[in-house]
Amino acid sequence: MRIDSTHRAWLVASAVILGVSAVLYAIYRVPASAGSMGGTAMGLAFGILGFAFMIFAGLLGARKKVPVWRVGRAQMWMRGHLWLGLLSLPLILFHAGFHSGGPLTAVLMWLLVIVVVSGLFGAILQHYLPTVMTREAPLETIYEEMEHVNAQLRQEAAELVEGAGARTAEDEEGVTIAVEEQAAPLQRFFAEELRPYLENSAARRGPLADASLAERSFAQLKRLLPPELHDTVDDLEDICEEHRQLARQARLHRWLHGWLLVHIPLSLALLLLGAVHAAIALRY
Amino acid sequence: MNAAPGLIELTIDGQKVSVPAGTTVFDAARMNGIRIPTLCHQQNENPVGVCRVCVVDVGARVFTASCIRPAEPGMVVTTNSERVESARRTLVELLMSDHPSPCARQQHSGDCELETLAKDAGITQSRYPRRTPRASDDSSPAIAVAHDACILCDRCIRGCNDIRGNFVLSRMGKGAAADIAFDGNLPMGESTCVSCGECMVSCPTGALTNKFVVGTALGREHEGAPATVEELLALPVFQNVSGTFLELNRNAVVKRHYRRGEIVCREGDFGSTAFYILEGTVSVSISTPIAHVKTAGGERGFFSKLGSFLVGRDGDEREEEVDRRTIPIDAPVDLDYSHPVAELGPGDLFGEMTCMNFYPRSATVRAESDCTMLEMLRNVLDSMLKNKTFRARMDATYRQRALEDHLRRVPLFATLDQAFIDQLRERVELIRYAPGQAICRQGDPADSFYLVRLGFVKVSERHAGGELVLAYLSRGDYFGEIGLLGGGARTATCTALDHAEVVRIPGEEFRAMVERFPAVRSGLEAIARERQDANRQRVAMLGSVPLESFLAQGLMEAQSLLVLDLERCTRCDQCVRACADAHDGVTRLVREGLRFDKYLVATSCRQCRDPLCMVGCPVGSIRRRNSLEVIIEDWCIGCGLCAQNCPYGNINLHPFTVQADDPDAPGRKKAMVRKKATSCDLCTSQAEPSCVYACPHDAAHRVEPREFFAPLLGISAARKEAE
Repeated sequence: MRIDSTHRAWLVASAVILGVSAVLYAIYRVPASAGSMGGTAMGLAFGILGFAFMIFAGLLGARKKVPVWRVGRAQMWMRGHLWLGLLSLPLILFHAGFHSGGPLTAVLMWLLVIVVVSGLFGAILQHYLPTVMTREAPLETIYEEMEHVNAQLRQEAAELVEGAGARTAEDEEGVTIAVEEQAAPLQRFFAEELRPYLENSAARRGPLADASLAERSFAQLKRLLPPELHDTVDDLEDICEEHRQLARQARLHRWLHGWLLVHIPLSLALLLLGAVHAAIALRY
Repeated sequence: MNAAPGLIELTIDGQKVSVPAGTTVFDAARMNGIRIPTLCHQQNENPVGVCRVCVVDVGARVFTASCIRPAEPGMVVTTNSERVESARRTLVELLMSDHPSPCARQQHSGDCELETLAKDAGITQSRYPRRTPRASDDSSPAIAVAHDACILCDRCIRGCNDIRGNFVLSRMGKGAAADIAFDGNLPMGESTCVSCGECMVSCPTGALTNKFVVGTALGREHEGAPATVEELLALPVFQNVSGTFLELNRNAVVKRHYRRGEIVCREGDFGSTAFYILEGTVSVSISTPIAHVKTAGGERGFFSKLGSFLVGRDGDEREEEVDRRTIPIDAPVDLDYSHPVAELGPGDLFGEMTCMNFYPRSATVRAESDCTMLEMLRNVLDSMLKNKTFRARMDATYRQRALEDHLRRVPLFATLDQAFIDQLRERVELIRYAPGQAICRQGDPADSFYLVRLGFVKVSERHAGGELVLAYLSRGDYFGEIGLLGGGARTATCTALDHAEVVRIPGEEFRAMVERFPAVRSGLEAIARERQDANRQRVAMLGSVPLESFLAQGLMEAQSLLVLDLERCTRCDQCVRACADAHDGVTRLVREGLRFDKYLVATSCRQCRDPLCMVGCPVGSIRRRNSLEVIIEDWCIGCGLCAQNCPYGNINLHPFTVQADDPDAPGRKKAMVRKKATSCDLCTSQAEPSCVYACPHDAAHRVEPREFFAPLLGISAARKEAE
C-alpha cells in the first residue's frame, strides 16, 4: 500500500498511542532487579494491547478471504494492519521491559522483530515497486497468464521468420535461391539468439536481455538484410521488448509478493506462540 | 429518304437501317437481325467495351467497339469484312492464350462463350505464350472462382454492383496482374457476398461457376431432399423467380419433413437458413427462464454473502420495463412476456434474420403436427423476399399479427385507440434495406416516421471531424420524430446496419396521430428534446476532449469506468476475487485492459454511450435505460452474441441450473444449464461495488471518466460546467 498523506490520521493516532505508552512506561517501569514488567498491571495492559494489535493485524488475512463481507473497507483494514502492527512492537517491548525473558519469550520477541521488519520491508516494496512496474513494464499482463503470453510470442516470432522467407521467395520469382540466402542471417539470428532468449523466461543475461544491447543487435541484423525484411526485424524487436518487459514484470512481481512467504508464516507462528505465552503467563 | 423524327439512318453491311437516336451500333445491328459477336456486353448491363470482340469498321482510322459507339446519321458500318474478322480472330486468340481450355463451364455445360467463339473461328491452339497461372478461390460454399478462366470482361462486376447493388466485386491490380476481387481482396467466402448468383449468371466463361451446396451448408440431420425446380416453381412464393436461378441453386433449398414433437431449431444456436412452412403447424417458444440475474445478499447484516440468482419481473421490477409486454423474435409473431409461446402455420416464414444476418436463433421451434417445410439458404430466401406476391403476403401477415404489438410496445403509443391502429394498419409501408443502405439522410426533408421491424439501424450525425454515432436502434425502436415535430429537415442519417426492415408511417398519418392524441405529441416532444440534448452533449464532448488516446481507447464513450491506479495497485487481484465472490464465482471483471496515464481501465462494463453490444441481439433483450446503464432483459436466451460484440470483452455468460422442458420428452422437465448474459451491475444492492470495497490498497475506483480525468485532459471546471 502506498504510504502518503492519506495516512496522516493513522500516523497521528499511532504517534499519540506511542507517546502516551512511552510516558506511562517511563512512569511505571520496573527496574530489572525488581522483577518482570510483564507481571505488573501496566505491563499486562501493554501486553494485552500489543497482542490485540497483533491479532487485528493478523485478521487482515481473514478479511481478505471474505472480500464481499461488509465489515469495513479493505483499505481501512490494511491501514490498521500497517500502523497497529507496527505499534505492537514498542508496546510489547514496554510489556517486556526491554528484556527477552525466558526461551519462549525470547523466541516470541525475535519473531515479532522479524515479522515487523519483514512487514516494513514489504510496505516499502509495495510503496515503490508498483510505480516501477508501471513505468518499466507497460506491456505487463496478468501474472498467471505470463507463460501463455510468452508461448504466443515465441510462436508469433517463429511465424514471422518463416513467413519472411516465403514472402521474399514469392515476390522475387526466379531468384528464389538468392533471396533465401539474403534471409539466412535472419533465420540464423532467430535460431541462435532470439529463440533461446524467448524460450528462457527468466533469462537476465545475454544481449537481448538488455534493451540497449538488443537495440544494437537488431540494428546490426538490419544491415545484413534487404530492406524488404526490415519490417519483420522491427516486429521481432517488438516481440523481444515485450518478452523483456514480461521478464521484468515477473521479477518485480516476485519481489512484491515474495516477502509474504516470510511474513505470513512467521506472523501465524507469532500469534500462536503469543497465545500460548498469554495462557501460560495468566495460568501460572 | 428522310428519317422520321427522333430516328437516324445508317447502313450496316450494305443494309439501310433506321434506329432511334442514341442507339449504339451494336444494338442497331441486333435490332435489324445482324449478329455481332461479343463477350463483355449483355443486354441487361451498361456496355463498357473492354473485350473489343464486337469491333466493326465504321470507316474511321481504327476499328471501333460497336457496343459503346453510338450510331450516327449516314454512318456506314461493316461487321463482317475480312479485316474485321481477322482482327476479331486475333482478339479471341489472345484471350484464349490465357484461358484454361476446356474451362469448368465448358466441361460442365459446354457453353463457355469464349470457347464457343474460338471454336466458331477455328482456333484450336493459341500462338501466344500463356502468362503465369492465377489462383482459384474455393472459399465460398456456393460459387467457385477460377481466376485463370477470367477474361476481365467486368460482366460480374456490373451484375454485382449495377444490377444487384451489392458492391462486393471490383477489379484489383493493373495490367497482367489485374483480377476481379471481392471486398477489396478478400476470399469470396469471407467477403460480404450474399451468394445471390448474379456474377455467376453473368460470367461468360468458367471463372465463376455454381457449386453444389447441399451437404456443406444445409445439414442432413433431418429427413429431406433438395427441392426440384418444378416443385419450387409450382409454389406461389416462387412464381416469377428465375428458373435458371433456381436450377443453379437447386441444392440451396431442401424440403424437410418433421414428425410431431421434433425440434426444428433451438434458441441460441447459430444457423444460416430460414424455414418456410408448407404443411402443418409449429410452436415457437423460449425455454430459457424469463428472468434476469440479480445479485444481492442472501441475508441481512454485515456477514451476508452476495449471491446471484434468477428473478422475474414480478419478483424484482426494474426501472423502465413495466410496459414491455412482448418479446421480439425472428418470426412473424412476437411472444407474450408471461407466456412465451406462439404458433405458426402454412405460409409462415421464420428464421429470416438468422438466414440473412447470421444471428443466433431467437426461439425454439417444435413441430406441433407432422410438418413439411422448405429450409433455404440466403440466396434463395433473398429471391423469395423479392417476389412481389410473397412480399405482399408477408406484409399482410405482419400488419395483421404484429404491427399493433410493435406500436403498443412503444410506451408512448399505448394510448392509441383501436380505430386509429386499424386505420394505420392499412397505411403503413414495410420497406427493406440492405446493409449500409441509407434510410434517411441528414438534411433531407422529414416526411416519415419509422419503426424498426427487423434488423438494426445506426443513427449518426455528420460533423466537421467526421461521423458521430448517436445510437443503434433495434426491433421496436423508432426514429424520425425529431424532424417531423420540428417540421423541417432530418437532423441525422439513419443507415441499415444489416438486412433491416422498417415500418414507414407517412408524415401525414404521423401528424394526424399527434393531433388526435395530444398525450402522444407531448410524450414524443419530450423524448425528442431529450435526444437532442443528449446529442448536443455528445458533440460538445467531442470538441472538448483533446487527447487522442482518450478517444482512441473509447473512454469518451464510457460513462462509468473501473480504473486501477497502477502506482498503488500491487496486482494482488483482490478486486477480481471480490467480484467473483459477489457473483457466484463468475467474475465480471478482468484485471487487464488499456492504460490511460497511470490508470488501468479494467475489463468491466463501461456502460458505453455507443453500445455495440446491443447490435444483433436476436430477441432484443439488451438495451439501456435512459440513464445509459446497460440492462439485460428477462428474455435473454444466453446466445452470447452481445458478449462477442462488446469490443472490451465486458459481457459474460452466467450459467444457472434450472428445471426446463425436456426437448427430447415433451411435457417433462429436467435439470439443464441455461446461461444469461451479465455485465457489471455495480453491486447495486450494496453501497459500493465489491471490487472497490475489497481493494486493500485504495487503487480501485469506479469513476465518471471525463470528470475523473479532467485534470489530465485539461478540461477546466468552468468548461465542464458550460457543458
